[in-house]
Amino acid sequence: MALLQIAEPGQSTVPHQHRLAAGIDLGTTNSLVASVQSGLPKTLTDAEGRDILPSIVSYQQDKILVGDSAKALAIEDPQNTIVSAKRLLGRSLADIKQKYPNLPYTFSGNEDHPSIATVQGDINPVQVSSEVLSTLVERAKQALGGDLEGVVITVPAYFDDAQRQSTKDAATLAGVKVLRLLNEPTAAAVAYGLDSAQEGVIAVYDLGGGTFDISILRLNKGVFEVLSTGGDSALGGDDFDNAIVDYLVSEFELQRPLSHQLERQLLEQACRAKELLSSQDSVEVVINHQQQTLTLELSKATLNELIMPLVSKTLRACRRALKDAGVSTSDVHEVVMVGGSTRVPLVREQVGDYFKRQPLTSIDPDKVVAIGAAIQADVLAGNKPDSEMLLLDVTPLSLGLETMGGLVEKIIPRNSTIPVAKAQEFTTFKDGQTAMAVHVLQGERELVEDCRSLARFELRGIPAMAAGAAHIRVTFKVDADGLLSVSAMEKSTGVEASIEVKPSFGLEEGDIIKMLKESVTHAKGDIQARMLKEQQVEAARVVEAVQAAVQQDGNALLTDDELAAIENALAQLTKISQTSDIAQIEQAIKDVDTITASFAERRMDSSIKTALAGHSVDEV
Amino acid sequence: MNYFELFGLEADFSIDLTSLATTYQALQKTVHPDRFAHSSSQDQMLAVQKSSQINDAYQTLKNPVKRGEYLLQLRNTELPEEQSTFQDVDFLMVQMELREMLAEIKFAKDIDTALMSAEETLDIQSRQLWQEFEQLLGQHSDTANQQAGEVLRKLKFYQKLYIELERIEDTLFDD
Repeated sequence: MALLQIAEPGQSTVPHQHRLAAGIDLGTTNSLVASVQSGLPKTLTDAEGRDILPSIVSYQQDKILVGDSAKALAIEDPQNTIVSAKRLLGRSLADIKQKYPNLPYTFSGNEDHPSIATVQGDINPVQVSSEVLSTLVERAKQALGGDLEGVVITVPAYFDDAQRQSTKDAATLAGVKVLRLLNEPTAAAVAYGLDSAQEGVIAVYDLGGGTFDISILRLNKGVFEVLSTGGDSALGGDDFDNAIVDYLVSEFELQRPLSHQLERQLLEQACRAKELLSSQDSVEVVINHQQQTLTLELSKATLNELIMPLVSKTLRACRRALKDAGVSTSDVHEVVMVGGSTRVPLVREQVGDYFKRQPLTSIDPDKVVAIGAAIQADVLAGNKPDSEMLLLDVTPLSLGLETMGGLVEKIIPRNSTIPVAKAQEFTTFKDGQTAMAVHVLQGERELVEDCRSLARFELRGIPAMAAGAAHIRVTFKVDADGLLSVSAMEKSTGVEASIEVKPSFGLEEGDIIKMLKESVTHAKGDIQARMLKEQQVEAARVVEAVQAAVQQDGNALLTDDELAAIENALAQLTKISQTSDIAQIEQAIKDVDTITASFAERRMDSSIKTALAGHSVDEV
Repeated sequence: MNYFELFGLEADFSIDLTSLATTYQALQKTVHPDRFAHSSSQDQMLAVQKSSQINDAYQTLKNPVKRGEYLLQLRNTELPEEQSTFQDVDFLMVQMELREMLAEIKFAKDIDTALMSAEETLDIQSRQLWQEFEQLLGQHSDTANQQAGEVLRKLKFYQKLYIELERIEDTLFDD
């Protein structure tokens, strides 16, 4: 129930306007933008009619190239051309070097906040992603004819907090409002679910180039409830290619190490063979090596044999996800296929056999995520007042704290529906202890060293007490974007410390403002102007929302005095928001918030009562 | 408002899980932050709070052990501490035997049958405890509530055994 959605078109305080919104699939290899136009979601194209934008950014002396023009420079100028930046998002340098030892970049910056040295200076992976986002947002503005209310950006279900936060930071840098970060498999389910108005349990099998995700959802009257999610963040179509390469190396009796060039050639041939074998039974592989031509006939049967162990591994993850969801294969009504690697026939066959039904492949697996994101963006922007659609997503990984002995105590278990808030009490272990270190971790393992460190902070000023006498309450909150914030409080004294978990990796506090100031995109517009505009938009949103709320529930829930006070505060805010005093506008918004706080709460409770009575507010 | 009231239910142990799920979805349709994506930040914050509360309530009411604990807390029953020593020696003996039974599954000739029979044993024993628990709750006396808390503690042992059984099943099928 959103305030503005309730009014009939006739009684609305504002004429109905279509708010422009888009869904963005920010992929590792390719990115897309889609939007709902005249009721239909479709991908948006550039001037040349292409909808797929390679997620590649090339930093040149005098310009920044994004997409196909950058791709053209990937081989010629690898140092300044950044490919697959998504893999580097929210990662430490050690992490990157271990996972991708052969990257051609020169890393700079510190261990936890790596950058890439280019001719345009040090570039953070977040900045690279923001360039891709900017390009797509610009494309959407052109295609839709105006500024966007906001965008939904998809992320892999398995993205941890640091990676999610970095994605959101990239959007901030690109100057676009994020309506929601949406998990890719959920987006795919939405794309299919609304088409066919399905009810029941859906499995989304998402096999991309480098990652595998499986999500189990229950769809009921427009509600997509994610029951469980699982997968393998290091398993994908690239591994199919590597398996073929290894086979070729052994069949051709080549001795490793091979030259980069030959490895590259083998990989390209492997990838080509894999793709061709989707539609034919055998393919000839030709490799030019030391003036010789090596050839080999690769059959579909051999390919299947090579990749079978990898496919089986994905099915084991499916079994675990089903178990976590508390359902069996026979409960699954539909299986949705996402990701380019699901084009491989063996994958389709095996998944079909496992779930005992034909997987859905009617929507292009490369576009289905963007399509789903566009549908969600349209709803979130408020264009579908009657929409019953609601997505209830989960945290992919458990969140916890370090306790004595290097152990992790889980506070929020994985697969908890978000938003979620959980608190746990801890105590001091030394007499007279006045500070406590809080170390926030993410992962399933028991030892701190096996989990991902998200943040550390300290609660100071605890009054000296005997060991075990202090009651320290640590609260974890995960919002609907899957982002965590943590606070700690000593209960008897009220001493408090809190932290928006700015992850240890990614951008540092203040980096965004600095980058915004430096960034080429915003050099023209002054940052002050942008902040003023943001406040004015928020002010307008508040006025609109409160007016609609008063119109609907004012009579029932407000006394005359309260009503007068609210109207007065609104008039003030309206007046001040015409000025250019950012601080004053901010204050006026806060004033309205304070004065309407109890009204907002009463409205929320009253709508809960209405929902319990079996009538949704939309029906009244 | 307690969790039962939040879902429009009497504070009773036996609840209809299907209608619980329906109510849950209806409530989330009203308060979920997605419904407030273009509202003021105050409304958005309030929505996050309410929506989190409803999620927590749903998770508590859905799970029988958590629901039982919550109900006893509402009745001001002090639940036995996890760390406190367990007095019932016979029960502990049975637990050890059950652990052994689980540990031996992987050596069984017919693993599927062994898994199934282990699950059945756990089912039968825990079902008895659940009956005892409900019967005690029905008495509405402080003493009975206290005893119900003890039974619930035993049921947690069974929960752990089920988790162990699943883990064993996972490792056996992964090979």
